[in-house]
Amino acid sequence: MHKLAIIGYGAAGFAAMIKANELGVKPVLIGKGEIGGTCVNVGCVPSKRMLHVAEIYKKAREVTGSEVYPPFSSFQEKDALVQEMRKTKYEDLLSYYDVELIQGEARFISPHAVKVNGQVIEAEKFVIATGSSPLIPQIPGLDKVGFWTNREALSPDRKIDSLAVIGGRVLALEFAQMYSRMKVEVAILQRSPMLIPDWEPEASVEARRIMENDGVAVVTGVNVKEVRKGAGKIVVTDKGEVEADEILLATGRKPNVDLGLENAGIRLNERGGIKVDDELRTDNPHIYAAGDVLGGKMLEALAGRQGSIATENALTGSHKRVDENAVPQVIFTQPNLARVGLTEAEARAGEGEVEARVLPMSSVAKAEIINSRLGFVKMVTMNGRIVGVHAVGENVAEMIGEAALAIRFGATVDDLIDTVHVFPTIAESLRLVALAFRSDVSRLSCCV
Amino acid sequence: MKLNLRINPEASTGEKCETCGKPLTPENLYTRRIGGQVHYFCCSHCADAFEKDQHCC
Repeated sequence: MHKLAIIGYGAAGFAAMIKANELGVKPVLIGKGEIGGTCVNVGCVPSKRMLHVAEIYKKAREVTGSEVYPPFSSFQEKDALVQEMRKTKYEDLLSYYDVELIQGEARFISPHAVKVNGQVIEAEKFVIATGSSPLIPQIPGLDKVGFWTNREALSPDRKIDSLAVIGGRVLALEFAQMYSRMKVEVAILQRSPMLIPDWEPEASVEARRIMENDGVAVVTGVNVKEVRKGAGKIVVTDKGEVEADEILLATGRKPNVDLGLENAGIRLNERGGIKVDDELRTDNPHIYAAGDVLGGKMLEALAGRQGSIATENALTGSHKRVDENAVPQVIFTQPNLARVGLTEAEARAGEGEVEARVLPMSSVAKAEIINSRLGFVKMVTMNGRIVGVHAVGENVAEMIGEAALAIRFGATVDDLIDTVHVFPTIAESLRLVALAFRSDVSRLSCCV
Repeated sequence: MKLNLRINPEASTGEKCETCGKPLTPENLYTRRIGGQVHYFCCSHCADAFEKDQHCC
């Protein structure tokens, strides 16, 4: 019997494997599909590359005044990066670490055993890290007409001139901007009254501005009724129709839980993911789970951390937990949207004295210098401690880690004020929004 | 093909004050949870008016 079996070889699975080796355990690693999972193959890595390419061309258009757009062949060029990162960050590690790899689909046949390719694998402990897949909504006509998910949108089979995006959250915003900057006409169709409705409302408002500044048509509060064929693909809604060359479904992701969990006594949570406690233990005390398969925030970095903690808890009983309040999230449009911790509404729903300040990016010297005034930084405090930071602006992804650290260590606005920040940087906006709790920032000189 | 948008953009809800229709910006945005749902306004007065109207009904 193996000491540890890890099911899934994406971010969480690999983090679990590395932690197991650190603890002196050789795990068996079971996975199917491309090694590395969603992020490196069809997620963060290729999409951020394409956003970067699109950004360069936009700058080129602005500087030269010429109508230059990225060719669709850029999508093939990004494959080299994906292959290289998959090799160095995943495949090569398999020979570096002490691990037994089995490629195939695992299904539990008992609380201590899975079957893979007809072979029974028994283990004392399991970590399930099977990730997630695109959620395909039940829309009449969708199967007949065909559609793209993030996978096809990152490797398009043809050049398109127009795209209808169904959804209005992270994937929708990133792909809408990516394609619009490739000279594709894009419309976003979002059911909620706002884009990214779970974010601060100020961010929702700015998300629309970002999209519209790139020429994306944004329609919110709309229900998709059916999809049918015309000259292109027609999305029929309760407020009219949109016809485009292609339809991109950006309607979220669902946890990959089809692995005979009932045979191991594992139940699902209300989000359709695997139910775990604070220590990432399932209903079966020998089995832990990590990453997208939990159905919570589906983030590469969080998945990795969970994979590591789940393994440590499984092998040592260390009772570690992930600090869910300090998990940053970013939407990599230009400018970025970033958040960590509670929204103001979430904080006010709790107990404690809540204060919030919003600092427009136009008050930040670096934003003026680089001529990128769109956006803001919002800070939320509870009983004097920072509990949430929300930002829209150029490169705010690069500073949200500092905000996460502030939340994790219970920092106050005065802690940030007392910390000298580099002038002029966008990161300085964190200190400035903290200063907004104490004074009128618009009346301050550059460095105070 | 060119994008064929046969939707009246005015039909889109949100990003406008639900009481007076003023465009919302991060500077004027005011939200209030009414009847279990978050509503979007340009100021607290519009939220008050919306809430009063809801109670009337």
